[in-house]
Amino acid sequence: MTLILRREGLLSQTLLPWAPERTGDDAGDEAPPPTRPPVRRGSPLAALWLPLRLAWRQLRWEKARLASAIAGVMFACVLVFMQLGFRAALFDSATALLSAMRADIFLMHPMTLVSFKPETLPRVRASQAMALPEVQAAVPVYLAQATWRNPENGTRRAVQLVGFDTESGVMDFPGLAPLIDTLKRPDTIAFDLRSRPEFGDIGRLLRERGPLPVQVGNRMMEVAGLVEIGPSFGADGNIVMSELNFRRVVKERQVSAVDLVAIRLVPGADRDAAMARLRQLLPDDVMVLSQPQLVAHERNYWETATPIGFIFAFGSLMGLIVGMVIVYQILFSDIASHLREYATLKAMGYSNLYLGRVVLSAALLLAVLGFLPGFAISAVLYDVVGKGTFLPLGMETGRALGVFAMIFTMCALAGLLAMRKLRDANPADMF
Amino acid sequence: MDGSRVSRPPPPVQLRGVTYAFGSGALARPVLRDVELAVAPGEIVLLTGPSGSGKTTLLTLIGALRAMQQGSAQVLGQELAGASEAQRVALRRRIGFIFQQHNLLGFLSARQNVAMALELDRTTSEAERLERADAILAQVGLGDRGESRPDQLSGGQRQRVAVARALAGNPGLILADEPTAALDRQSGGEVVRLLRDLARQRGVPILLVTHDPRILDIADRIVAMEDGRIVPASQAEPVRAG
Ligand SMILES: Nc1ncnc2c1ncn2[C@@H]1O[C@H](COP(=O)(O)OP(=O)(O)OP(=O)(O)O)[C@@H](O)[C@H]1O
Ligand SMILES: [Mg+2]
Repeated sequence: MTLILRREGLLSQTLLPWAPERTGDDAGDEAPPPTRPPVRRGSPLAALWLPLRLAWRQLRWEKARLASAIAGVMFACVLVFMQLGFRAALFDSATALLSAMRADIFLMHPMTLVSFKPETLPRVRASQAMALPEVQAAVPVYLAQATWRNPENGTRRAVQLVGFDTESGVMDFPGLAPLIDTLKRPDTIAFDLRSRPEFGDIGRLLRERGPLPVQVGNRMMEVAGLVEIGPSFGADGNIVMSELNFRRVVKERQVSAVDLVAIRLVPGADRDAAMARLRQLLPDDVMVLSQPQLVAHERNYWETATPIGFIFAFGSLMGLIVGMVIVYQILFSDIASHLREYATLKAMGYSNLYLGRVVLSAALLLAVLGFLPGFAISAVLYDVVGKGTFLPLGMETGRALGVFAMIFTMCALAGLLAMRKLRDANPADMF
Repeated sequence: MDGSRVSRPPPPVQLRGVTYAFGSGALARPVLRDVELAVAPGEIVLLTGPSGSGKTTLLTLIGALRAMQQGSAQVLGQELAGASEAQRVALRRRIGFIFQQHNLLGFLSARQNVAMALELDRTTSEAERLERADAILAQVGLGDRGESRPDQLSGGQRQRVAVARALAGNPGLILADEPTAALDRQSGGEVVRLLRDLARQRGVPILLVTHDPRILDIADRIVAMEDGRIVPASQAEPVRAG
């Protein structure tokens, strides 16, 4: 027997040098499995679908817990939507004036940080830009602030003045086109309908009484019509007028120093190419911007030079953390109170990985179930709050997708954290 | 010896010199000492012995629920000494477990619970799984209770669902630890007899730990344990008589 064993050992070693650990073990390995056919690989979809279904069945079983989990996710969802909504609304309103300026290309001094404190550039840059054949017209734009006396009660308030050659058709504002002829008259202005109510109910007065005399700075002007711009951080209200009328109000302003130059290209011209050529043509004291770039430049100031962006990012993060803690708590206590069941499944041959997928599926189900009502509530709140605060709050697809991604990540992280509790389910303790 | 090994399949369970201790170092408390045990194909073995003699520990080792320390354990052709976690998980799928408590998932119906034993085999379809679950539930006399949740069933019925779940995956071995402990005399007897009959039909061997003298008659062989050792057969015999 000793001889046989030794010879067997020798044989295995010579025959199977690559698998020495199998020595003496081959009897077991060669034995046919008692009843099962060899394992075939099934659909990989089932590996995701079955844990998901198990998670759903478990979630559904305890209605109260499911409801509180969904409420937690929903709460986080609404909080993040409101924070991001306010943030976007404030930035949108901060840039309302520039967003309302419609022209192909703008020239601005590179040191201008924000439109209500502009660095001026030489007026001659406008005529220099005309040298390019693509440029159909270029007009200087003057910006200034002056006091406005409310015609209803006489209170005074700072108003933003925008003066440019309104006849040239280079720059447009929503609502300006029908007023162009009227604005040629001396001392006429177009008032921003969306200015804050403290300026007086100009829209109603205009309808009732016709052209309306108001005091701007030290001069009496006449409101001849309405445009739509919206209040921004720098100004609660806006008025638009011709360059000539602007000079009548702001007498101290040098004509040669302009705040912006608006450019219109000939129809069909390539804007990006024209911008590149303008950059080559003009000296370093101008920055060539498209309208979106102009808005982005202004927005960048508010995002980086003020804590506004941080405040709302912080608020969103808090919402996500609170949501994550709630989801984690729910999933954790779910596992803790079902340790026996999880241990039983492990004893039946379910792997840690499979059970991990169950927990993660539960987390992602909660993400979806919490997001849908959270989205609906936020959309309603946007409407209600937007009307109450004059902020341009609106549900945007991009933001909705972004919030969903955040909620999804939040729940996934909570699931991954809760999964650690699965280790406590020890099948050896089951007997 | 060589020849006999080729012609006859190895026994479903073959333990050699299994020794196990809880704790480590100076605190190590030996619970199993040099256990030798074999279960033949289709054999029904009852394991008895005083409380604390190591029966449950032995069962968890055979069921690959615990890592081996010393000795060799061949279970369904898998050597457990030094087996990896993945190998142990794979082996568990081929063993049917019946616990003292039914341990059914409370949020699943009886047939869904039984089907859970089949979901690991991804080659089956949902319809096949439920069909097999219904068939085996009918065999344990619960054909009409497939949609009931565990909390709508009696203790004996729950344990019968657990039996159905253990058998559903066509296991090569059934391990049961005091499956009648939570049941009254009558339903306890019913459950183990049902288990015996179904296992006999399929030729599945059973290793069952029990303190219950009323069910000793289902056994082909009774093995007694004491203080971590298997008591020699000559000494174990009186247990059966008494
Ligand atoms: N997880 C553990 N940690 C430490 N010691 C343990 C553990 N499980 C069991 N023991 C000890 O090992 C010994 C054997 O326990 P085991 O559960 O195997 O006995 P048993 O024969 O099944 O007893 P019973 O008939 O009461 O179920 C006991 O002394 C017990 O205290
Ligand atoms: Mg025990």
